[in-house]
Amino acid sequence: MMNAKRFRNISLDGVLRNNPTLRLVLGTCPTLALSTSAMNGIGMGLAVTFILICSNALISLLRKVIPAAVRIPAYVIIIATFVTIVRMVLDKFIPSLYESMGVYLPLIVVNCIILGRAESFASKNPVLDSACDGLFTGLGFTWALTLIGIVREVLGSGAIFGKELWNFRIEFFGSAAGAFFVYGLMIAIFDGVYRSIETSMRRKKFYRQADAVLAGCGDASMIDDCARRDRAEATATETHTEEN
Amino acid sequence: MTVKQFLKSNAFKCILVLTCIALVASGLLAILNDLLSVSDEERTARAIRSIYGEAVGYEDLTASLDATYASNEYGSIDNLYKLENGALMFKSTGKDGYKGGTVSLWVVAQVDGNGDFVSFEKVVYAENSKQTLMSQFKQSTFDVYTVHNDKIAEGGYWWVTADDAHVSNLVSGATKSSQAVNNAINSALYYLRNVRTGGDAQ
Repeated sequence: MMNAKRFRNISLDGVLRNNPTLRLVLGTCPTLALSTSAMNGIGMGLAVTFILICSNALISLLRKVIPAAVRIPAYVIIIATFVTIVRMVLDKFIPSLYESMGVYLPLIVVNCIILGRAESFASKNPVLDSACDGLFTGLGFTWALTLIGIVREVLGSGAIFGKELWNFRIEFFGSAAGAFFVYGLMIAIFDGVYRSIETSMRRKKFYRQADAVLAGCGDASMIDDCARRDRAEATATETHTEEN
Repeated sequence: MTVKQFLKSNAFKCILVLTCIALVASGLLAILNDLLSVSDEERTARAIRSIYGEAVGYEDLTASLDATYASNEYGSIDNLYKLENGALMFKSTGKDGYKGGTVSLWVVAQVDGNGDFVSFEKVVYAENSKQTLMSQFKQSTFDVYTVHNDKIAEGGYWWVTADDAHVSNLVSGATKSSQAVNNAINSALYYLRNVRTGGDAQ
């Protein structure tokens, strides 16, 4: 069973720390091609999320059965099956999204995010962990793609989620060059924000450790012991006061 | 290697596992295909909805296509429908595209009481083969085919370069694909003219 700390790590890794689009720069082809509108971004993101969850869970379930020599062909068959199912469902129920995703929908089979998670995570971890990893990696891909889609749609089409906002539009943002520009900008902004938060958290941790050392708690590894000791002392003092 | 050794070998295990996965996957997909497949009628209704923005009744005339003219020098007519507003809707495929590929269009043509061509009402992209630059063809490119009906009604055809006999519509940088697009229109035009005149039209 997965504990809370592991769940937190898997979710933060997928959504932020190892975000496939903005940190690992994986799945660039659909990111550039399908971020012309926010709806396309959400559609592609959710399709990839569904496939990631299912393929990760199944690959994890079969990880002890699939011989190492044929693991990649086996993963590709499994992923291709789920991609075909998604294609059938979209073609039947959301034909407009199916049309707009075009060739990039079948190309999910060779999407390096899905193959990467299958190879590096699902093949080595239990089913629940792998399904969670698929869910959060997919959500990380979805929000990044949607954000890029929103920026490109607002600037390139003067609309958001298909609803027209104004007449002003810059054609550049609808083009391939605009896609690269917005993608690069998003990576830079995300990296800048991520680093500043990380630095601030490290600084806080450092000051906490330094305070603990100065307070006579010895080295940093003893901070928890010190905290426990302080709490015990405070409880004892409160008890003593009540008794008096 | 004996049979027993082969059955215990890693190679056999690999073959067995891959075969099992492929069989289960194909069985699952076969079942889902039966449940989720989209019929030709549904696709036609979708195409009409995408052209008119609403459902329009139609009669399928594909079975009564005149084979002599359906396949012609410009391409072929894949399907023919008569819409309830009297217009004829072709699914027309133009040949001679990039790398010998094709472009298919939905072409809606208005005809008079005698079946003579009056105008192209709507032209909408359907599909292509081998045309890597089709993304450069916007709906505005196809709308051009609906604004020179007078010239076309006189007997001209569409081409990538304009001359006395042809009207031009070209996407710069995608000349071969433009040719296939023009051919799809011309194929519908050729069919209409020749079916009416018994093959006398040029």
